[in-house]
Amino acid sequence: MANQTPAVVMDNGTGYSKLGFAGNDSPSFVFPTAISTKSPAGGAGGSGSGRPAVANKPSFLTGGAGPGSHLSGKRGTEDLDFFIGDEALSASSGPGYGVHYPIRHGQVDNWDLMERFWSNSIFKYLRVEPEDHYFLLTEPPLNPPENRENTAEIMFESFNCAGLYIAVQAVLALAASWTSSKVQDRSLTGTVIDSGAGVTHVIPVAEGYVIGSSIKSVPIAGRDITNFVQSLLRDRGEPDSSLATAERIKEEYCYVSPDIVKEFSRFDREADDRFRKHTVNYPNGKSVQVDVGYERFLAPEIFFNPEIYSSDFLTPLPNIVDTVIQTSPIDVRRGLYKNIVLSGGSTLYKDFGRRLQRDIRHLVDARIKASEAKSGGAKSGGLDVQVITHKRQRHGPWFGGSLLGQTPEFRSYCHTKAEYDEIGPSIVRRFALLGGPGST
Amino acid sequence: MLLLDYQNVLIESLLRDRFAEGASPVSIDQVVSDFDGVTFHISTPEGKTKIVVSINVKCFAELVQYGAQAILEREYGPYIVAPEQGYDFSVQVDLESLPEDQEAKDDLVRRISLLKRNAMAAPFENAFDEFKQLQEEASKYTSESAPQGVKEGGETRAIHYRDEEAIYIKASHDRVTVIFSTVFREETDRIFGKVFLQEFVDARRRAIQNAPQVLFRNDPPLELEGIPGINNSGSGEIGYITFVLFPRHLTDQRRADVISHIQTFRDYFHYHIKASKAFIHTRMRKRTADFLQVLRRARPEAEEKERKTATGRTFKVAS
Amino acid sequence: MRKRRSISQAYARQDPCVDTPASVPHHEAPLSSQSLRPYLQCVRSSLTAALSLSNFASQASERHNVPEIEAASSPEVLLNPLTVSRNENEKVYIEPSINSVRISIKIKQADEIEHILVHKFTRFLTQRAEAFFILRRKPVKGYDISFLITNFHTEEMLKHKLVDFIIQFMEEVDKEISEMKLFLNARARFVAESFLTPFD
Repeated sequence: MANQTPAVVMDNGTGYSKLGFAGNDSPSFVFPTAISTKSPAGGAGGSGSGRPAVANKPSFLTGGAGPGSHLSGKRGTEDLDFFIGDEALSASSGPGYGVHYPIRHGQVDNWDLMERFWSNSIFKYLRVEPEDHYFLLTEPPLNPPENRENTAEIMFESFNCAGLYIAVQAVLALAASWTSSKVQDRSLTGTVIDSGAGVTHVIPVAEGYVIGSSIKSVPIAGRDITNFVQSLLRDRGEPDSSLATAERIKEEYCYVSPDIVKEFSRFDREADDRFRKHTVNYPNGKSVQVDVGYERFLAPEIFFNPEIYSSDFLTPLPNIVDTVIQTSPIDVRRGLYKNIVLSGGSTLYKDFGRRLQRDIRHLVDARIKASEAKSGGAKSGGLDVQVITHKRQRHGPWFGGSLLGQTPEFRSYCHTKAEYDEIGPSIVRRFALLGGPGST
Repeated sequence: MLLLDYQNVLIESLLRDRFAEGASPVSIDQVVSDFDGVTFHISTPEGKTKIVVSINVKCFAELVQYGAQAILEREYGPYIVAPEQGYDFSVQVDLESLPEDQEAKDDLVRRISLLKRNAMAAPFENAFDEFKQLQEEASKYTSESAPQGVKEGGETRAIHYRDEEAIYIKASHDRVTVIFSTVFREETDRIFGKVFLQEFVDARRRAIQNAPQVLFRNDPPLELEGIPGINNSGSGEIGYITFVLFPRHLTDQRRADVISHIQTFRDYFHYHIKASKAFIHTRMRKRTADFLQVLRRARPEAEEKERKTATGRTFKVAS
Repeated sequence: MRKRRSISQAYARQDPCVDTPASVPHHEAPLSSQSLRPYLQCVRSSLTAALSLSNFASQASERHNVPEIEAASSPEVLLNPLTVSRNENEKVYIEPSINSVRISIKIKQADEIEHILVHKFTRFLTQRAEAFFILRRKPVKGYDISFLITNFHTEEMLKHKLVDFIIQFMEEVDKEISEMKLFLNARARFVAESFLTPFD
């Protein structure tokens, strides 16, 4: 069995990086996509070169002319002196190190730092010789091909990795949903709702290809929910209303209610059952009790009724999903409604999927009824709306990668080092669709 | 990061989490890799409190031949269980019967995370023991009158730990020679590797007098004469790096560290070749940006044009 | 580095015949830096002369306008190519035509380390040829990197600045290669010593 080394699956997101080996059901390492480097005295970039910062140029050309771009001082070993992940955050709290986030909005922003981030991921954490392993990396939808080429350049030229496959996160999230018993046919058509810390994306995918023109993003995600919980705690004047506590409460107690009005009255009726107390333990041994009340169901409610949290974004998530599907090509809409897949940490609230499914179904049914009325008696066959909730939601894209990376045909879908040397970076502009029709 | 860790970080952090006070037991099932094609399987097959760590090493048969079993038994004694199907060696830890004090717990974590190191240590320990023996014997003779066996040293131990690469260890009465054969699959790596190895060779002369002597060549060194499976082509793709460990490195106190450290050589070496390529990429990105800047100066400043809105009003673009 | 650039710019603005104060700092040995200046000067003059380009429609196919030096379909609009050579390892090949000039540079490579670094660097640059407008994706045979300047480039960009760019490129690429080599040696030494120190 060990003749074939397991493929390495790396899902580098804006907030967190998920690293591990294909075939496992969870990533081996999950840590922030952060890197802390020794910052030169003075800090601000460009001080050494004396030239104005390079602007209006795509990042793949500049490599993100961040701090420390001063070449002449770099004959030493500064480039080996850095930390990534949790170590980066703890190092940056001390003197001398500054923390950077090489990925912004899902895309690699600073290639120099990303290259070092990968280097450390591979050699320090995963401990693999890249020449022996195939790699499966992820990218956000609509990633420019130049970014792929840059990735390939780094993976093949610096690390000599044996083979490389770059998959779109949304497609992997679809593949991850195959573990759900609700999914009968393993198709790569569906709508992915990917909600992480910063932003929520609704991405329609038809047979493994992202319908780029219909993607919509919602500026409400995990961080907003935490902030909302925190503001509720503050309003009540709880003894501890720190962000960390708010996050704990969000993760442990929150759920989605079918109807907030009824939920309020239920809280009033069954107060003992519904209200909770959260104990915060401090490192110094003290502890305080924080009451947990309506925020249990109010916090995730901002997806469905954004007006309770934000004043400039007011469209509920179900309507967004409906719009996304309605703007997609007509022949795939049925498949998109039938397979709405959740992915990311902010979709884990209890009954999130059920509520979403109900709300979307209401919208769809209303529209069908209206068109039936207009057409004067013609009957519609109805439309099946199904939201898939599954166990691997949290690290959906990573798990999908792990699932596909362990299939026997995975290697034949990769581009190998030899192919790269022959053709060059442009080879990664195209990948055969892994897990698409024709493969098992 | 300069030096590579000796232990497997994942096993270390995973066990530490599990061993911590008040950690709730969860089931684990992970297959993870380590350098040199080593595979670990960390699982909880019987119940959430019994963690089994299994290792698969490509050259386990060779290691056993040099006494790996004894070393592993010494290190893991009571924790050893029958090897899991498909793996060479397994240890099991029961969370319910952990050592009481924190220090012993930490020691156990450290030990298990060094599983690969300990398995690979066998031929080294074996050779170091032989060296001691030979040294004692040799002290009975003068250098001329020593019988052939003592002078020449013992057999050469070969460990084919990777598909195309191997470690050879040979003990004699005044030294232990460790030879790594390594393959460069790429031209750039070969040339970078040469630069690096030259510095390894020179380092002793220049700065660190007490370090082991390092030699580098593209054809098999004399010590490997007559060993089966040696590629004699001398094509430059394969390099042989010889470390000569002197008695000062082989004392009982130093032994463990020397073994841990020398094991990481191959991966350390390849890691740094890759890290310098990454740094050269950084430089090239910077330089490319500089060149673009120069080229951009060739473009005359765009004249500020007045733009019109739909209603016919004009405005200037703020830059 | 900053200082160097300003000097070379000042130099560019001066009358080429007037000698500038010989204080241009350079990493190379004095002897070769003496030959570098005339070499670059010669490239500059030849290039400036070659860059008299005009719009020229293809004679071979109607409504096409191709760089004649690349198409080579009308021999009468091709001018004599010219090699400026400093030594056998460093030369520039200029191929002029009526509407386009091709400049190929052979970069100094003293040993296999420099060879591989030059190869890596030129490959890195050509990979980003899109952004460089005048960079050719493939070098002419026997050279490391080629540029193609057409009349469209000279129309929208300042000609003398384009020449500046080529000259500066030639200067800096040498410097970059030797700096990278120095880095590699320094790094190798550091890495070797760090590994061997624990044995001490």
